Amino acid sequence: MTSVDWAIVAIYLIWIVWGGIRLTKRTKELEGYFLGGRSLPWWAVGLSVMATQLSAITMVGTTGQGYASGMRFLQFYFALPLAMIVLSVTLVPFFHNAKVYTAYEYLERRFDAKTRAFTSLLFLISRSMSLGVVISAPAVVFSVILGLDLTTTVLLIGAPAVIYTIFGGVQAVTWVDVKQMGLIVGGLIAAVVMLVAGLPDEVTVPQALRIAGAAGRLQIFDFSFDLTNQYTFWSGTIAALFLFCSYFGTDQSQVQRYLATDSVDSARESLMISAYWKIPLQALVLLVGVFLFLFFLYTPSPMLFNPVHERAMREGPHAAEYRELESRFEAATASRSASARVMGRAEAAGNTHDFEAARGEFQRQDAETRTVRAAAIDLVRRATGDAAYSDVNYVFPTFITQHMPIGFPGLLVAAILAAAMSAIGGELSSLSTATVIDFYRRFVRAEASDAHYLGVSRVATAFWGLFASIVAVWAAELGSLIEVVNRFGSFFYGSILGVFILAVGFPRATANGAFVGLVAGMGAVAWAASATNVAFLWHNVIGAVTVVIVGLAVSMLLKR
Amino acid sequence: MTSIQRQYVGVLIVWVGVLAALYLFQELFS
Repeated sequence: MTSVDWAIVAIYLIWIVWGGIRLTKRTKELEGYFLGGRSLPWWAVGLSVMATQLSAITMVGTTGQGYASGMRFLQFYFALPLAMIVLSVTLVPFFHNAKVYTAYEYLERRFDAKTRAFTSLLFLISRSMSLGVVISAPAVVFSVILGLDLTTTVLLIGAPAVIYTIFGGVQAVTWVDVKQMGLIVGGLIAAVVMLVAGLPDEVTVPQALRIAGAAGRLQIFDFSFDLTNQYTFWSGTIAALFLFCSYFGTDQSQVQRYLATDSVDSARESLMISAYWKIPLQALVLLVGVFLFLFFLYTPSPMLFNPVHERAMREGPHAAEYRELESRFEAATASRSASARVMGRAEAAGNTHDFEAARGEFQRQDAETRTVRAAAIDLVRRATGDAAYSDVNYVFPTFITQHMPIGFPGLLVAAILAAAMSAIGGELSSLSTATVIDFYRRFVRAEASDAHYLGVSRVATAFWGLFASIVAVWAAELGSLIEVVNRFGSFFYGSILGVFILAVGFPRATANGAFVGLVAGMGAVAWAASATNVAFLWHNVIGAVTVVIVGLAVSMLLKR
Repeated sequence: MTSIQRQYVGVLIVWVGVLAALYLFQELFS
């Protein structure tokens, strides 16, 4: 990164933080701070909802996934538009008309205080830990790629969002998100343009796409019905429907946004933005990954994209084994590149026979490249003891910092920071809301002035920002703990959806029935996760269905 | 039909269209 690039990043951060702080004057009361006075326009809320889901992990992780495995991950989002319609018809009017601050507050009105407190507590635990991961994942990548200390990159990513959220509340989060979305989409389009420009002159875009297709990178649909396979058409349209209904319908980080609109229809309209644009946007992110694959097909690439591990392997006790793998990798990538060029020439000449022969050779060499890379990653895992090691998060940042012309690295790093900040701001604001509304105002001090609650809310936002930053800095050491908490969070997603289905759809359901159902649903998911190979998306279905069945059964039994 | 109901129909039409386009894209280049 040159000084020009750093200047772009610095100017962007100052502009964003200043813009957020300026909104402080509009947050004189609690409703303004947490819900924007219930008067934010639907289009701004809709863009903010999209920005919150699009974290830096999406920018670096999903593009890396596109590079390594192609576009099949897109199936994960197929149910999202359907979930938006389901929620608009069901939960959105209930929340909006109830004039609540949190989704869990509604559960006390329908059931009792313990169901509200338990679900809100589960949200606080899982969301605060996942916020740590949202900060740490890009912080670790930036630390390696830019050669900065991890604490510095955690502060670079976390501090601006914490500052503008403390001062400006949900208004700042929403309006900053609108700017962030513009930069993120602009950055992704700029990346595609630069990647296409980086292809050899004789390779046209359709030819390049045919080569990506031959390597299986454009395989999107998998119609096999296999409950153990994470990404299929069926898990993406049926199981993910439960996940998205739970995420957008019961997770405070999402619900809080559409509660900030002025009417039920505005809330619905805000969700329709995601319904229309989420799949195309995610396709664009994965397409960046596919073009990264094409770029590194013609440009020599490192075998491992994490330079720290690459150096450690080259100089460590496994150096000889690594060197041997590297020789195989260089030979395979050179042959793969040559075959791709022959494919292009044969296609241009209309020579089907040569094209098919080159295609077969290309696929063999691509398979060999994957095998060698997998062996190198396995070697790193054995050497470091990190069984989950992967370097896909480093592919896009490597391209940005080493292959883009001056100015563009600054733009793209700012876009990745924007994605991180938009997720952090939204999640921080929701953590603060749940803390103050579901616990402080409910159990500690029920009657106080707005100024008092506003002060406590700002302290809560600062506390969660500090907590998530500490988790982020210690994420490597806390690895197994974070995994446990995230697993715990996944037990809870389908189950909490089940509680809301009981609340809204079954007047006969009682408070005790819902509570026992929630515990049973989490237990069922814990069993499915530990005793079966069923893919995690289906856990949401298991959790929701168990809660509804057990909840109704207990409700009826206890009524008698 | 209200405005938001028309939106739901629009989302469903666009959803089918996007999935069909993605499938064609996959088949065209694979």
